[in-house]
Amino acid sequence: MSARAVDAVFQGLYLLTDVRMMIRKSVPDHVLTEDEKKTLAKTLDKVEKQIAVLREELLA
Amino acid sequence: MSLRCAGDIDTRSLEEMFINLDPIQAGGRLTSEAMKAVIAYADGYSVCDNCQKPARLDAISKPPLATFHKDLAAFVEMDEARLMPGARRGFQAVASSFVNPGDPVLVTSYCHYTTFVAVEVAGGVVYEIAASPDHYSTPDMVAERIEEVIAKTKRTPALLFLEEVDYQYGNVHPVKEMAAVAHQYDIPVLYNGAYTVGIKEVSGADFGVDFVVGSGHKSMAAPAPSGFLATRAEYADVVFRTSKVHGDLTGRNFPVKEVELLGCTLMGNTSVGMMASFPHVKERVKHFDKEVARANKIIDALLSIEGMEVVSEYPRKHTLTRMNSEKCFDPIAKKHKKRGFFLISALRERHVTGIIPGSTKVWKMNSFGLTDRQADWVADAFLEIAEAEGLHVNR
Repeated sequence: MSARAVDAVFQGLYLLTDVRMMIRKSVPDHVLTEDEKKTLAKTLDKVEKQIAVLREELLA
Repeated sequence: MSLRCAGDIDTRSLEEMFINLDPIQAGGRLTSEAMKAVIAYADGYSVCDNCQKPARLDAISKPPLATFHKDLAAFVEMDEARLMPGARRGFQAVASSFVNPGDPVLVTSYCHYTTFVAVEVAGGVVYEIAASPDHYSTPDMVAERIEEVIAKTKRTPALLFLEEVDYQYGNVHPVKEMAAVAHQYDIPVLYNGAYTVGIKEVSGADFGVDFVVGSGHKSMAAPAPSGFLATRAEYADVVFRTSKVHGDLTGRNFPVKEVELLGCTLMGNTSVGMMASFPHVKERVKHFDKEVARANKIIDALLSIEGMEVVSEYPRKHTLTRMNSEKCFDPIAKKHKKRGFFLISALRERHVTGIIPGSTKVWKMNSFGLTDRQADWVADAFLEIAEAEGLHVNR
């Protein structure tokens, strides 16, 4: 059992949900402000970290 | 080919691709919190992991549904609340509790069809309250209809259904005054808050009503079907009465189960989604004035198209609005190759949707939840379409 992997799955989905909400908020042209772009970049970094955890926990 | 969720089921990305003005969908768009809760609680009976005695939804403390029920009642300033699978099931529970076969029941000319059906299921007889020419229900009309019904049936109506904001015009009706009239005849009053609870501040106590019904999926940023029924303490034991029957062979009985709810109601992502959105919903109702200002901005722009009329009260007091474009868009439709579909088609080309396809005479839109930028986009889209079709716009 890898609680860390399970947490990473949910955390990744939650972070992607935040991205989905940014897309909704900026519909229809999806033009982000500079602040929103910074937030998005940080969120995507966090998603990548969760994916790294999953690789480490489940593929190693 | 579009992205599929599974099998032949397309991914729904309408909210990600379009500004959606659909009148019934605006207030039900989920918050990010609800989206996350739905992901975590997607399985069937997912809120029942820690269900203990008494085995009932409103008693579950993890996730905190027990607290949520109390918070819901407090939110609308009533005494008791229960989650229901949509506002309609709240109507049904109250009708089933208060209406006997043949009883007259009063509804407004703008009530939702499920009000009719709820009364029908209970065996009641629907009597409609007339509306004014400018599309309002009024206390005088309530009084007049009560007198007529009593004179005709020799029975006092068992119930009055009211809506503060109706689904046809989005007009604001004098609920407090109408409820006061009904109470002079000891008629219980149900407030249908499908277009208000979760959108604007609502106080059942201030309105002096006996029941408040809200819709989760219409106005509380929750998945469907969800909603709630709240009541004054006086009627809680009636509408939330528990089961009394015993099995004739086994002797089994279920005395904690509330009969009008058929026991538990929202046992999964509906209740948890509604609960997850609730902090946001409680906050957003305080800013309804900004939503109305945005709606008026859009309507003002639409009215700059020559021939356009607003059928709802104006200036707007709610974000759901009924328009009449018989003198502008409809003549275009008559000669356009796409006929009446030209309007929705042109709107979709500009990434706006939610108007009933084919409608160019009378149609509704709801701007609730749009940002300022999106509101401007919608206004510009309509004006661009009008000008592209040769209509005069007073910019």
